[in-house]
Amino acid sequence: MLEKNAMKKILKKIVQFHLKLFTKITLWRHRPFIVAVAGSTNKTTTKDYILKFLREKYGEKEVRGNPKSYNTEIGLPLAILYLDSGESSMLRWLKILVQAKMRALFLRKFPKKLVLELGVEEKGDMEYLLEMVHPEMAIVTNIEGSYTYSNSSLEKIFEEMKFLAKELPAKGYLLLNSDDERVKSLAGFSKAKIVTYGFAEDADARAEDLKTDAQGQIFNFVFQGKKESIRIKKYGRTNIYAWMAAKVVKNIL
Amino acid sequence: MELRASRIPGVVSLAQGVPSFDTPEAVKRAAIDAIEKGKVAKYSLAPGTLEFRETIAQYLEKENKFYDFETEIIATAGSIEAITATLLAILEPGDEVLIPDPTYTSYQPAIKVARGVPVFVPLAEEKHWALDIEKFEKLITPRTKAFLFCNPNNPTGTIFTRNQLHALAQLAIKHNLYILSDEVYKDFIYPVKSCEAGAPSAQFNRVNDSNERLYSLAELRGIRDRLIYIFSFSKAYAMTGWRIAFLATHQDLAKKILAVHDTLVTCAPVVSQFAAQAALEMAQEDVKKFKDYFQKRRNLICKRLDKLENVFEYQKPDSAYFVFPRIKDEILRRVAKNGGSWQFALELLEKAKVAVVPGAAFGPSGENHIRMCFGRSEEDINEAFERMEKFFRI
Repeated sequence: MLEKNAMKKILKKIVQFHLKLFTKITLWRHRPFIVAVAGSTNKTTTKDYILKFLREKYGEKEVRGNPKSYNTEIGLPLAILYLDSGESSMLRWLKILVQAKMRALFLRKFPKKLVLELGVEEKGDMEYLLEMVHPEMAIVTNIEGSYTYSNSSLEKIFEEMKFLAKELPAKGYLLLNSDDERVKSLAGFSKAKIVTYGFAEDADARAEDLKTDAQGQIFNFVFQGKKESIRIKKYGRTNIYAWMAAKVVKNIL
Repeated sequence: MELRASRIPGVVSLAQGVPSFDTPEAVKRAAIDAIEKGKVAKYSLAPGTLEFRETIAQYLEKENKFYDFETEIIATAGSIEAITATLLAILEPGDEVLIPDPTYTSYQPAIKVARGVPVFVPLAEEKHWALDIEKFEKLITPRTKAFLFCNPNNPTGTIFTRNQLHALAQLAIKHNLYILSDEVYKDFIYPVKSCEAGAPSAQFNRVNDSNERLYSLAELRGIRDRLIYIFSFSKAYAMTGWRIAFLATHQDLAKKILAVHDTLVTCAPVVSQFAAQAALEMAQEDVKKFKDYFQKRRNLICKRLDKLENVFEYQKPDSAYFVFPRIKDEILRRVAKNGGSWQFALELLEKAKVAVVPGAAFGPSGENHIRMCFGRSEEDINEAFERMEKFFRI
């Protein structure tokens, strides 16, 4: 049993190393504009809205996101190389590595924009992901915990988000949920341009007059001196945050 | 009956409604990973981890059901906890809860625990165990608070049609009732073409875009303030022992139920929340595989029942993994004299060494029936029928 586990760990390391290498080659060759979506939750919904808006603007083929929320050390390269997971099959992983190499070296067409969820759990996860991808725009959705007593783990995630904020270039953008105090404070750690969004009065992009009915939610979206009435069919504030972040991304790009 | 059967060596059981499969590998791996990473030792938030609830909301969206994961979804310790917590939250002592007859046996005690009174609404067996809306309305009194049902129905393996569900929703609005919709078997719906020709439920109970997806009242936005949608991972993902399910409802109602849930269990088992999250993300192929097996077994058990046509008559199930045959009067008199389905099941257990559940356990309309589960292996089904054929001297 121990041997089997050790073998699995070694295999994982080999797969991880090669996927990272092929991903770096792919991104170096095609140099897409990368939008990163990070945070505890609401990454997938935010990414999906961004994809929807950017595809409306640039066309289906020019924008790609992580399928199935592939967003970790193995998932992210799979998302970029557009490959499926090999699950627990060694043979499938070998096949995937061959495909990854072919795509990295010979693929001609590649989307101009990538919208990628970055999933982090442990110290150092963000650093690892940012060795592969260099986003010019990042959105931090929230920093929240799933446990009753969990401040220490929130601080750990905060440090990872801080790393992302610091790594963004000065010409880049950092979009922050202004209703989350931890997220809002990330503004002080980045040289990128900051845009905040939320329900707070001082948010750059703001939702107000929220109403809920059987058909979903209605709110006013206020951004860059304009106000528009929006209806979405999904429930919950998280969907409004996701919609707003995506709208800001569309406006900037 | 299952307990009694376990004391008799060599019994083949078609009694308990438990699938014969093990939990999918990806689910087990996710649980082990969560344990090894130290994620499961602490209480989660009372409604469950954010990630689990977010995954649930995304999964529900694909089925045209929209809920806010932060305020409208609660992970529970099995669906029975979801049901009991809901009933405790909405009932005053003496309030009546309508349940189909026959239906899942645990609904009655759950209602009684909440100091409510269960009231049976007989289903129309000849109409493929349909819900008779007229009968239903006649049984509504000023004390009626809710209707609790499972769709697909246990023990009949049949589905309530879209029209019946809409009529039910209208009644709920008219009489200000809650609806608890337990959809534990929703993933095991068999294609229309393989259903009994002419079975009414085969034509009207499914959504338009696919004949294998169950239509749910949770898709009807107009009643989201009175509908409690309940789903358990026990059957679809072979996870009965993990005790994990969830409920989804309007945030005002969810708040009331959450207070009871917090009192009862604090939170659902955290390891099971991680496992169930992985189930939604990675085990859909396994669910399809299980369904294919059950469909084959359904066809097998129906074929075997057809050979016993002088003993049983039945409505062919188009979902879940139960069949609920009626015992022909002459056979019942011969085997059980005046003892009804209990005596019949005991005779079958002791003399043929086949365990089934007596129909009376599911309500008065279940009398003269037995429930057979085809969630068991094909070998078990064949062996049970060999024994019954011998017992009935076919």
